[in-house]
Amino acid sequence: MRNHYWISLWTLIRREIARFMGMRNMTIFPQMISTALYIIIFGFSLGGRIKEIHGFHYIEFIFPGLVLMGVITSSYNNASNYLFMARYDTSIQDILLTPLSYLQMVFAFTIGSIIRGLIVGVLVLATGCILLKLPIYSMAATLIFLLLTSLIFASFGIITGLWAERWEDLALFINYIVTPLNFLGGIFYSIDMLPPWWRHLSLLNPIFYMVNGFRYGILGFNEIPLSISFALMSALSIFLFFWTVYLFKIGYKLKT
Amino acid sequence: MNPFALTICNLHKNFHSLEVLKGINLNIKSGMFFGLLGPNGAGKSTTINILAGLTLKSKGDVKIFGYDIEKDYKTVRQFIGLSQQEFNLDRFFTLHDLLLYQGGLYGLRQTEVKKRVEELLQRFGLWEHRHQKPHRLSGGLKRRAMIVKALIHDPKILILDEPTAGVDVELRHDLWNYLKKLNREGKTIILTTHYLEEAKTLCDEIAILLEGKILIHDSIEKVIEHSKGDLINYFIEEDQEQVHA
Repeated sequence: MRNHYWISLWTLIRREIARFMGMRNMTIFPQMISTALYIIIFGFSLGGRIKEIHGFHYIEFIFPGLVLMGVITSSYNNASNYLFMARYDTSIQDILLTPLSYLQMVFAFTIGSIIRGLIVGVLVLATGCILLKLPIYSMAATLIFLLLTSLIFASFGIITGLWAERWEDLALFINYIVTPLNFLGGIFYSIDMLPPWWRHLSLLNPIFYMVNGFRYGILGFNEIPLSISFALMSALSIFLFFWTVYLFKIGYKLKT
Repeated sequence: MNPFALTICNLHKNFHSLEVLKGINLNIKSGMFFGLLGPNGAGKSTTINILAGLTLKSKGDVKIFGYDIEKDYKTVRQFIGLSQQEFNLDRFFTLHDLLLYQGGLYGLRQTEVKKRVEELLQRFGLWEHRHQKPHRLSGGLKRRAMIVKALIHDPKILILDEPTAGVDVELRHDLWNYLKKLNREGKTIILTTHYLEEAKTLCDEIAILLEGKILIHDSIEKVIEHSKGDLINYFIEEDQEQVHA
């Protein structure tokens, strides 16, 4: 019997990276361009008319959230689009036939999506930091929250990619759940600026905790304790990852 | 080494209220060329998809070389190479890259898989098409690519679901010769086919599957001798229609 464990896993990871790198104009650059446009419009054009928030220029305050929006969309789209397409043309069977364990399959798809999210995130972050002359306050916190956000949305992407029956279904999650949560998750404002009822409602929004942690990493400013953001995001990441492994194990919409 | 490549015991499969397999029992010896025949909807593809782990069984036991297909799925999948009836070639990669990745997924090292890919692409006349995306290939070339994909990790059991459906006579005979060679070298081959001629040329034993049950399982000569009638005539008629088409 061949010692295939690492070779198989590494091959699947390489394959997933090759897939999105082969379509850079669809998978990497559009996210960078749209984030750059947000920076230009909200930062340099409209931002000057908005007063400072917690001692930061408006563009500096919203910049961490803008980076996360790119990471969220990239990680989610990578997993959901590939899995849906592979189910649709049945090429997913090439993976299901191999001796890879279900844990390995999910791990490789997740890593592929995280890497796409990180490429977009790091490129946008570097560009923004240069344009805004913004030093990163804590590199460790920045990377940890970038990674956790990417992991959470890669898992959501896998779940939606398995569940979807039509292309339209893939957009449901991003259009009706992620986009509203993004805009209501404290990317563009501080929750201190909100009326009390809305502030309390914001605490139910998972994206608020992602933005809070990531904003600390870049600016050194957080609205709620960092430990709460970290604990909630870690718990959600672990739960979603093992849920996706379970879905693969039972063959949810993969096996007849 | 287990003398049986495949052991199926009381295999059932239901799709909701539809019972597709109704208690199949089958033993296939290692090194055998075995044919699974039957009309459309008899349960041939369902049976082989269960062996490969693409369809979940409802009841029964299935073992490959003594390993349970569910408990020991990682070991079992190393043994099996499956070429399906429907083309499912990943359209993102060129044929060459697709096969390199497929070999890697089975744990083959880069140098080993490169050699294997070149050897198989040359053998099946696909070398000059290696830089093409699979969906741009003709039907016959896609069929060859499916077989190459199934052989990439040199499996102990090769399962071919209607491998000559839609291919020309020349390729069909070339493929038959190659499969006979693989079988002589020790590979167990399980073939589903509509063509009685194909089964007669290749198989040591056949089983006829009808409405989810094994109707008869024996050497091809004995099956023909025993049935003396309607069922074989059905296959012969259909077979001849396909050959003359």
